[in-house]
Amino acid sequence: MPLIELNDFSFKYYGAESLALRKIDLTIEEGEYVVITGPSGCGKTTLCRTINALVPQFHRGYISGNVIIDGKNTRDHTVAELSSIAGLVFQEPENQLVTLNVEKEIAFGPENLGIEPTEIRRRVEELIKLLDLEHLREKHPHEMSGGEQQRVAMAATLALKPKILVADEPTSNLDPRSAEVILDIISGLNKLDLTVILVEHRLDLVSKDASRIVLMDKGSIVADGPPREILAQDICQEIGIGVPKATLVYKRLKEQHDIDLGSIPLTGDELAGLVKEASS
Amino acid sequence: MSFLEVFQYTRQDSIVHRLDPRAKLFLSLVLAVISLLFLEIFPLLIIIGVLIPMMTAAKSLRRWLRSMKGLSILLLFILIFNTLLSTYPNPLNYSIALILRLIALMTSFSIFFLTVHPDELSQALIQMRVRFEFAFAMSMAMRYVPTLGQEAYAIMDTQKARGVELDKGNILKRIRNIVPIIVPLIIVSIRRALSIAESMESRGFGASKNRTYMESLSFQKRDWAVCIISLIVLIMVIYIRLNIPLPDWSIPF
Ligand SMILES: Nc1ncnc2c1ncn2[C@@H]1O[C@H](COP(=O)(O)OP(=O)(O)OP(=O)(O)O)[C@@H](O)[C@H]1O
Ligand SMILES: [Mg+2]
Repeated sequence: MPLIELNDFSFKYYGAESLALRKIDLTIEEGEYVVITGPSGCGKTTLCRTINALVPQFHRGYISGNVIIDGKNTRDHTVAELSSIAGLVFQEPENQLVTLNVEKEIAFGPENLGIEPTEIRRRVEELIKLLDLEHLREKHPHEMSGGEQQRVAMAATLALKPKILVADEPTSNLDPRSAEVILDIISGLNKLDLTVILVEHRLDLVSKDASRIVLMDKGSIVADGPPREILAQDICQEIGIGVPKATLVYKRLKEQHDIDLGSIPLTGDELAGLVKEASS
Repeated sequence: MSFLEVFQYTRQDSIVHRLDPRAKLFLSLVLAVISLLFLEIFPLLIIIGVLIPMMTAAKSLRRWLRSMKGLSILLLFILIFNTLLSTYPNPLNYSIALILRLIALMTSFSIFFLTVHPDELSQALIQMRVRFEFAFAMSMAMRYVPTLGQEAYAIMDTQKARGVELDKGNILKRIRNIVPIIVPLIIVSIRRALSIAESMESRGFGASKNRTYMESLSFQKRDWAVCIISLIVLIMVIYIRLNIPLPDWSIPF
């Protein structure tokens, strides 16, 4: 049984004029690292919200089709019930930190679920170590940088021990350095067997780690497959998403100069390797 | 507004900070009641004489002095006007007593607010059977006050850049000028509140009736000691107030 299953799912927000999601069919297995991308307003955030039942339980509206998460239909389960299956990290770190220090923040989720205090303490210590938050322990959210806030928000979500981590543009408010730290943490977690769904525009930073890219446009999925396959397709440039430079160079060489490098590169290093191989 | 500093929690490691907030609440209330029992200079001086060492024990005497300095203009104001306008027989004596009482009251409460972290306060409330939602709403208010302040400044700057003259005109005009700040602030806050609710819900807020707490407060021997001593002192002071006439050491003005 797949971990995430959307069957012919459509959704329209209450009061909105058009569908935010149109007939989505999507299956995600355990351990995958799926990057969702697409132009602004195409429904990426809405798709994330369906995975922990925020759509349709928190955001009401018209729905058709079904979303099954770890065997649970989101029409019949509350967001709280799904909180230990799918954890969401949002774009705005400031709005995810609701307590006055890091320890409390991490403890907030497990406390809500009524987990034993000793176990909560154990998780807090584990996550402080894992995400390198020791120096922030006693700090008010206001005294932290955006990157630090986002790391705390991620720890707070992981404290619920979810099977799926859904991160909706977690790096869009961050400087490139902190963004890279966050993305490294995410790919590290994926290697520890966490299923990851990440909405991200900077494909050059994530496509080397991702196992799959889902491309969305106007509420539908328009392409879905391994990064190398998807990024080499023309549709990426048509919709206007940030295809990595190395992949673009590969495409131009192939289409305009008839030079085939053999395989599709995602990073500058890979491209350099291919060029070296071809010229030797 | 620097005198408000004595009501703001400051992180310190002192005996007073380590006391249980419930014990401190009791202590503060007892001290406040005692301050309200007297309106004579001499006993009020004794009370302040007791409070100052407590402030020292909380490692906050400097802060207290700074606040009192900030308050001094207001106090002087009260002193002068009360003395001039009062109908009491010894107006100066009365005004000084009034000021001392104000200082004693403020200091009593500041022992609580200066040394109790908002988190401890909400935990104390929860353990005193206040519903979690209320206690949490309070701590969240403290969490988002700085954020709201920042937002208000940002909106002010935006409106100024668009040519709204915020600090010009008479009182009426100025009051009307608040509208272009308040309205966007409310809209932004509602949007933020929704987003916060989304995040809290995603982390299981309200999921279980039996919410647990990672840390709970526990009364130690020293907390009991503080409570018992406070109670004894309170009873003694009330007895003195009711039965023993105080020497008449007032200033004859
Ligand atoms: N709470 C809401 N109520 C009504 N309509 C909404 C709501 N949230 C999103 N929408 C609408 O649903 C559509 C999809 O929005 P969504 O936020 O999912 O897009 P997105 O791909 O995440 O965009 P972005 O890249 O800007 O974050 C948009 O047309 C948007 O206006
Ligand atoms: Mg979005």
